[in-house]
Amino acid sequence: MFKRLIVVLVLLGVLVSACATPPTAVPATEAAPTEAPATEAPTVEPVEPFRIAVIMPSAITDMAFSQSMYSALIAVQTEMGGESALEIKYSEGMFKVPDAAAAIRDYASQGFNVVIAHGSQYGASVQEIAVDFPNVTFAWGTDVNTFGMPNVFAYTAAAEQGGYINGVLAAMLTKTKTIGVTGPVEVGDAKTYVDGFVQGVASVDPAIKVSKTWTGSFSDVALMTEAAKTHIAAGADILTGSSQSVVGSIGAAKDNGSVLWFGTQQNQSSLAPTLVVASQVYDWSGMIKEIIANNKAGTLGGQAYVLQLKNDGLKIVFNPDYALSAEIKAAGEKAIADIIAGTITVNP
Amino acid sequence: MAHGVPTNEKQQIQRVEMCNITKCFPGVLANDRVCFDVNQGEVHALLGENGAGKSTLMRQLYGLYRPDEGEILINGRPYTFNSPADAIEVGIGMIHQHFMLVPTMTVAENVALGLKSSREPMLDLDKVSARIRELSQLYGSIIDPSAYVWQLSVGEQQRVEIIKALYRGASLIILDEPTAVLTPQEVNDLFVTLKRMVKDGHTLIFISHKLHEVMAISNRVTVLRDGCLIGTRLTSEVTRNELVKMMVGRDVRQLNPQPLKSGPVRLEIQGLQAMGDRGTEALRGINLQIHGGEIVGLAGVSGNGQRELAECLAGVRKTNHGTILMDSVDISFMPLKQRIDSGLAYIPEERMRDGAVREFSVQENVFLHDHASPKYTHGIFLDFARMRVFASELVKNFNVKTPGLDTPIKNLSGGNIQKLIMARELSRQPKVLIAAQPTRGVDIGATEYIHQRLLQQREEGIAIFLISEDLDEICVLSDRIAVLYEGRIMGIVERNEATVEQIGLMMAGISMTEAMQR
Amino acid sequence: MNDVFQLSVVAGILTSAIRLATPYLYAAIGEAFSQRSGVVNLGVDGIMLISAYASFYIVLNTGSIWLGLLAAIVVGLLMGLLMAFISVTLKAEQGISGIGLYMFGLGLSSLLFKTTIGTVKTVTGFQPVKIPLLGDIPVVGEIFFQHSLLVYGAFLLVPLAWFVLEKTTWGLKNKSVGQNPAAADSLGVNVDRVRYVSVCIGAILAGIAGASLSISLLNLFQDNLTAGQGFIAVALVYFGGWKPVGILWGALLFSTVNAFQLWMQVLGVKIPSDVAIMLPYLLTIAALAITINRVRQPAALNKPFERGES
Ligand SMILES: Nc1ncnc2c1ncn2[C@@H]1O[C@H](COP(=O)(O)OP(=O)(O)OP(=O)(O)O)[C@@H](O)[C@H]1O
Ligand SMILES: [Mg+2]
Repeated sequence: MFKRLIVVLVLLGVLVSACATPPTAVPATEAAPTEAPATEAPTVEPVEPFRIAVIMPSAITDMAFSQSMYSALIAVQTEMGGESALEIKYSEGMFKVPDAAAAIRDYASQGFNVVIAHGSQYGASVQEIAVDFPNVTFAWGTDVNTFGMPNVFAYTAAAEQGGYINGVLAAMLTKTKTIGVTGPVEVGDAKTYVDGFVQGVASVDPAIKVSKTWTGSFSDVALMTEAAKTHIAAGADILTGSSQSVVGSIGAAKDNGSVLWFGTQQNQSSLAPTLVVASQVYDWSGMIKEIIANNKAGTLGGQAYVLQLKNDGLKIVFNPDYALSAEIKAAGEKAIADIIAGTITVNP
Repeated sequence: MAHGVPTNEKQQIQRVEMCNITKCFPGVLANDRVCFDVNQGEVHALLGENGAGKSTLMRQLYGLYRPDEGEILINGRPYTFNSPADAIEVGIGMIHQHFMLVPTMTVAENVALGLKSSREPMLDLDKVSARIRELSQLYGSIIDPSAYVWQLSVGEQQRVEIIKALYRGASLIILDEPTAVLTPQEVNDLFVTLKRMVKDGHTLIFISHKLHEVMAISNRVTVLRDGCLIGTRLTSEVTRNELVKMMVGRDVRQLNPQPLKSGPVRLEIQGLQAMGDRGTEALRGINLQIHGGEIVGLAGVSGNGQRELAECLAGVRKTNHGTILMDSVDISFMPLKQRIDSGLAYIPEERMRDGAVREFSVQENVFLHDHASPKYTHGIFLDFARMRVFASELVKNFNVKTPGLDTPIKNLSGGNIQKLIMARELSRQPKVLIAAQPTRGVDIGATEYIHQRLLQQREEGIAIFLISEDLDEICVLSDRIAVLYEGRIMGIVERNEATVEQIGLMMAGISMTEAMQR
Repeated sequence: MNDVFQLSVVAGILTSAIRLATPYLYAAIGEAFSQRSGVVNLGVDGIMLISAYASFYIVLNTGSIWLGLLAAIVVGLLMGLLMAFISVTLKAEQGISGIGLYMFGLGLSSLLFKTTIGTVKTVTGFQPVKIPLLGDIPVVGEIFFQHSLLVYGAFLLVPLAWFVLEKTTWGLKNKSVGQNPAAADSLGVNVDRVRYVSVCIGAILAGIAGASLSISLLNLFQDNLTAGQGFIAVALVYFGGWKPVGILWGALLFSTVNAFQLWMQVLGVKIPSDVAIMLPYLLTIAALAITINRVRQPAALNKPFERGES
């Protein structure tokens, strides 16, 4: 009947918009401005490119978690000689785990060398799927559990280390002695970052008040913004926080005009050039290169990587547009050195 | 501007002609080259069995449907109505078989709906209310314009419908079975109103199944059968029996049930008390026994507790006090389903609302309650073949006019939906049958059939409780007649023991002893 | 713990609540227009998203907040026409159509965001405007009279919507087609047209709700910016019993409790954050459970109208 037809049409529309848009699997290389070096390189042999696929919970432009992985992949690709050496495919916005699991399985069966499941919520799916593809390397994080499988790598970031540095700097900058932390959900690196931050502040002045809010969502920008405004109303002159929804917190800081911000996961300076003091940046490129090397050497998994200040996986990027006094910057750099040297230990 | 009389801005309708109207629905030819006309100041009755095509014909005159073929002439000029707005514009109004009111809106809002206000875009309900008071007083008693429609009795709702048409300056008003839902007293009131309207220059088209009403009010009668025009007669020149024959195509027998030896008590009601919808006491201690093989009729003016009593017996209304025994088993606290399973059949008064699902097919409605019965199942599966045979038998026996068993019942004519539900309930072979208004809105042929079936069930030893506002029906069928007044039973009389007048007195609250002496 | 009862904290909570309630008010009152006419539009969140994107894009490129608002309205209207076409003209199942519309809005907004903007940016949107005199009253002025125009607009919408729905001839038509379309039709009311207009008003208001996020409250756009606010707005319509004032109370309750729990966290009141986060939802559900008996939904909700069904 006519009505049935319409229902079918509507359903089709739903399907099309569901499949076609959020998880666009556009080859990353199209966007990467790296054509030139690839063609110049004379040493290129007519070998098959190394192929990596990545599944991410948010968008590659989220200024946070997903973007950090995507940027690292592009950097490695450029270094290796472009598309012909390293092929990258990605699925973003996979906030629904069953969709992500389907994508993981798809990529594995399409013969990718490495499939990266970039989200701690994907662990169970990786554990299940990796068994069926013993020749494919799976990497997932943030976690340290490889499930005892020879073809699974796990990775995580010791976010508490950068948190500690940010905490030291923030403690020296606050005038109101009140600092606000806007967190999403109290798990994973969001939690460890905040724990490190609190320890860093306390190391300078235990009397400084650090208040924390959790919104219960990685994506609720509106509530995150309101949380930030609440901190400011309660007297905070410095804010920090993690997840893709902190763009809201940074916006709130910017609206206020004089509240400073410390970033994590990505370099967030561009969002508020005069207010961002420093960002802890995740650099997964070293880890990616190691995974590629291991894979080529026949080691498909079985190890856990931890990004640290020591192994250059974590970097503290100071915002050049913010005039940080030399004294404070020096204190920060000393703390970095101490953590690398092991004279300061930060508990996650 | 004369009150209630068609205004001068609108041209007065002198004559309406519908010529060779044909209207097809999927599987049904609802009107087949029907011609119909009506002149100013006349009451033209339209008769026909359920599904004959009366409503369909009138809906085309009101712009709700468009004829497939044929022409509508008003004062000699052809008109095409694309929507009721066009019909209203030329001065046609329609009171529908199923009321077209919004229950959650007030009377004034229902009347004002769709009209330009004097303060456009704002509502002017004060002005509307004033006019409603005027109009309602002119044609009967005042209706409170600020009352919500759901608070009104059926009779009052109908008056709102009439006021809606008058308010719009209708000079021709179509009344589609206006009396089907009214009590005898309300019918009298309606007739007074209608006569007044005719005197004021209105023209009426009157649809009914009740011949005495047609004889009483109309100037001319047109009879339809199966979508075809059978004929148009002057009322003064035709007899009741002739009309019956035109409608049904055969003679209808008069029933004359013989007394039976009644069996043991099957239904016993002791001291039943219950509240009504509006929180007032509706039943104030009912005591009644019904034997197997007996029909007990419950007479009474509607609103005296009939509906509440039926609902208490069916288990869909809470009782405050008292017990109900069926075959000596206390069923007072059983839910409806369990009562049905233990042998109670219930034909609700609001069959459209409580007894059927409009979107379901004819067959699905037949098996609404019994789909899980072992008769129609193999393990967990339904035996569709057997269900189909049974459903088609019912449809045939009760003469339900439907294109097929899979037609959703919302496409059946009003009377045919009634027949289908009756058929279902009567086929269940219960111990006790409660029938509320079983022939309301049903045509003569089907009424005869339903009456026969009730008597047949009685012969099979079933106890039947017949609740009806049609006193004739009660007097013909019942072995004993109980009269209900303000939640109490005024008295119980044997058939032929009391005259219709005496029962009428008891219905008005006169005690039995006093009534029997007059 | 005593901090919670300080005047400044109470003022802070109320100020936050008023801001938080703004998008819900626009979206839910819009949805009430639609639902009162009998059309459930579950696509509100999708409309909010795509309008939020459109207004943000325009403000980013032209700098004009008014053009941005206009863009949100136009895009909302287009989405409304689409929804009305599918659910009123084609009479498709409303629930499915609405979810389809949501997916469409979500997908398209994120695709466009990626291709035309690419990364998170901020704009200068509607700024707080202090209302003369009233804005200077201590505490009260701060709570109520120092917001952006779109926030005032949301609260002014409540009496305006009430007036349109309850006091105009069109409001009566809107209600009647949602309660008994056959009755409205029999009086010459064009049921489909009334539903079209109602759905479009709802969609335009959903569009403004989106703009209130992207160019007033947050001044930025990101994938799935609304994070499901449109669905909460639909729930608020039920909560508010299809009445603007009821919706106002619902939105205020929800956002006040949300603001309250944020303040409790900031002040370090010792409750687990999970409990704090659930608080607004729990309270709203509890309030709904208490009021549910009095709620009466439009009788023809979710039912396409075809003449001759009666
Ligand atoms: N909308 C519709 N779609 C399909 N069939 C219809 C529709 N309306 C009416 N019919 C069919 O047309 C025939 C005539 O119906 P109509 O309602 O005109 O009968 P009626 O004479 O008014 O009967 P009643 O006395 O029972 O009201 C019936 O067979 C009915 O099933
Ligand atoms: Mg009829």
